[in-house]
Amino acid sequence: MKRYILHRLALAVPTLVLVSVIVFSIMRLMPGDVVIRMVEGHAYAPTVAALRAELGLDRPAYVQYFEWVGGILLRGDFGSSYWTRQPIWDEFISRFPVTLGLAALTILSSVVIGVVVGIVSASRQDSAADYIGRIVAILALSIPYFGLAVLVVVLPSIYFKWTPVYTYVPFSTDPLQNLKILIVPALVFGVTRAGPIMRIMRSALLDILRQDYIRTAWSKGLPERAIVLRHALKNAMIPVVSLIGLQMPLYIGGSVIIEAIFRLPGVGLFFFDALMRMDYPVVQSVNLIVATMVVGLNLAIDLSYAFLDPRIRYR
Amino acid sequence: MGPRPLPAVYALILLVAVVLILPPGDAAAQTPKRGGVLRIADREAPNLDPHLAVSFLTHSWSSMVYSQLVRFAYGPEQKHSADFTIVPDLAEKWKYESPTTVVFTLRKGVKFHNKPPVNGREVTADDVKYSVERFMAKSGFRSRLEPVQAIDVVDRHTVRMTLKEPYAPLLNHLANAAYVVILPREVEDKLKDFNRPEAMIGSGPFMVKSYQKGVQIAFERNPDYFVKGLPYLDGVVIEITPDSTARLALLRSGKVDLGHMWGYLVPEEAKSLKQTNPEMVMAPTLTIGQGMIYMRTDQPPFNDIRVRRAIALSIDRKAWNESLFYGEGCTDAGPVPCALKEWKLDASQIDAAKAKYLVGYDPAEAKRLLAEAGHRNGLTVPMFHWPGYAPPWRTFYDLAGDNLGKIGVNVEFKPEEYGKYISTTYLGKYEKMAMGPITPFTEVDDWLFGAFYPEQPNNRSHVADAELGKMLLAQRREMDPKKRLALVHDIQRYLADKAYYVYMPHSPQYITHAPRVKGMKFHDGFGLGPRLMFTWLDQ
Repeated sequence: MKRYILHRLALAVPTLVLVSVIVFSIMRLMPGDVVIRMVEGHAYAPTVAALRAELGLDRPAYVQYFEWVGGILLRGDFGSSYWTRQPIWDEFISRFPVTLGLAALTILSSVVIGVVVGIVSASRQDSAADYIGRIVAILALSIPYFGLAVLVVVLPSIYFKWTPVYTYVPFSTDPLQNLKILIVPALVFGVTRAGPIMRIMRSALLDILRQDYIRTAWSKGLPERAIVLRHALKNAMIPVVSLIGLQMPLYIGGSVIIEAIFRLPGVGLFFFDALMRMDYPVVQSVNLIVATMVVGLNLAIDLSYAFLDPRIRYR
Repeated sequence: MGPRPLPAVYALILLVAVVLILPPGDAAAQTPKRGGVLRIADREAPNLDPHLAVSFLTHSWSSMVYSQLVRFAYGPEQKHSADFTIVPDLAEKWKYESPTTVVFTLRKGVKFHNKPPVNGREVTADDVKYSVERFMAKSGFRSRLEPVQAIDVVDRHTVRMTLKEPYAPLLNHLANAAYVVILPREVEDKLKDFNRPEAMIGSGPFMVKSYQKGVQIAFERNPDYFVKGLPYLDGVVIEITPDSTARLALLRSGKVDLGHMWGYLVPEEAKSLKQTNPEMVMAPTLTIGQGMIYMRTDQPPFNDIRVRRAIALSIDRKAWNESLFYGEGCTDAGPVPCALKEWKLDASQIDAAKAKYLVGYDPAEAKRLLAEAGHRNGLTVPMFHWPGYAPPWRTFYDLAGDNLGKIGVNVEFKPEEYGKYISTTYLGKYEKMAMGPITPFTEVDDWLFGAFYPEQPNNRSHVADAELGKMLLAQRREMDPKKRLALVHDIQRYLADKAYYVYMPHSPQYITHAPRVKGMKFHDGFGLGPRLMFTWLDQ
């Protein structure tokens, strides 16, 4: 087990090195020039040269790369934003709880909606409830979440002079207010993500409900609730759980637009702003931090198999 | 018939009637009231150091906190929204000792905000020297003060600025809130830099109360502000809202008083808001700005004046103004923008034969000119642009393409990603033709010298005209305002038929706010603080 962990950790190193090289190169391959972007129409030659030197962009790219990576490895310094001149790590840490809270609530709402509608739809196949459930799922799949978000923000402001856009309050300050602020964006995002969950849940459950052991349960005279919830659901959940896992990056990626529309000061917005402003160090470092988290999470999931299924052994 | 009433009796009856008809308390309602917090939804400033950023967001925030040597006339002082009359700020007076030496006398007893490490000490000449030198060393706008050779402290309340040559735009640049604001030196020494909320210590009308990154910044009234009785507001809160749809929703739902720091709404947004919120106060205003087609006048085919003139005559500005701006725009938009009234020479004051290349529409003549220039069968040109500008810019590109198509100029649209556009096309690095807006400047020199003098980053049409060059230099060196105005008018006359740029009609902005906001006059300078120090809430 210990050897396995060390082996996996060793494998993570080249992955992260590759990520760092790719994000560093991609930013510099992007068309445009961050220095001119910063001074816009005031790009007089001396101004541009001075700013380029100040940001260290006048040195060869490989020097800039090693300085960035060296800062992280030797001093734990992820660098500072070109625009805000603030340390990236501090900014990331202060914003991460917002995105985490939004992602957790989104996952929760999409799973609850998707699984419940999926169960009803499968256990009442070809009934009115099933058709409604399927129509809702197709609708949820078809509506882009950012479109739905705009409607949810705009329509109540027009008809009721109300809008679900609030001033963000951290969970630690006021948990209830925090929930009130996050619930609408999480539901908007969650509903659109619930579509695929509902579709997979329904088809998996239909498949399981036709299996021999379920027929046996029926013949034993077990009530429907026990058969569906206790015997069928657990097995039908396996592909659903895999799907939720696959959707994880979408929860982070989608938070960019949701955070902008609902004015939530999260990592998504931080990253998006940086990308728009060609803020190289921010884009590089946030990418690297998230990539490290994904690698770490994957490792944790792999290790957790041993506890979930004792038949799995590590070599 | 009885005796006729005397005229005095008529007058008395009329007076009583007028008094009865007038709404009660109208005069009282216009008397500014103290108190209340104004709420604004807008984007976040990328940086808090006023000398390090070129963003209007940063400068709007910093103008709340910092004072300047001189400033523009705002609020009740201003004659119109682009009134760039220079009025005292920290400097109570200034005097040109010679065309290249100006001496500023500071007000005595003006204090910085009472916050550590400055602790309410007096603003002195050393602070002015430090700030001007810091601006000239660090700012992206530093070229504005390039002609300044030295700034010397004469005594505690007097500074002398020495210039390399006479430079007429100096005071306008000093009054622009985006440029030299006065900072206390010890903040940089003790707090490391100005890019942090606790370092925003100035002598302006408001002080930073709190700043939650990505959420909101709150300002409170400076109780020791040197203009007694101002500001009227107890505070201003800017709710950081990156998305324009959300900003409008916040305005509609009454959560904010302004949906933009300057109150901007484009006509489409304003008309829709007026339907749902008829109580909103709206004023269509021609702001300083310009949209234009620019061309590589140093290369074929646009080095041929006939081709440029054909382009100029192809734009149906009247129809454009009617269809897109409800007839409220300005069709005579360049080279000096419509709003810059003091400097603008209207096309109607220019020889009609020349002025037609600024405002005229004559597709038949345009086709004739193209044929004369050897393009009888028309020509195909690219149009580089950034499609992301706020609506209705996307329609502008289409309309221009359509107008040009009618004279046989086939436009190939070349949309660019912003990063590329701003570092290339925007600065004149493109092939043949491009289209887009330009930064709104407060000084006429930027619209003329900046746009037409060789090697200037905003000379997007690559104009290199020796005769014009002499005129451009002369106007910026002329210290007599009347003579300078005459030179600026001469330049506009000279430029009228050159068609170096082809100007599009300019859209009005609807300056919009909640009805409780009073005394907020729109101004085209970058100072949000001086604008809001005259603003009050009727509540």
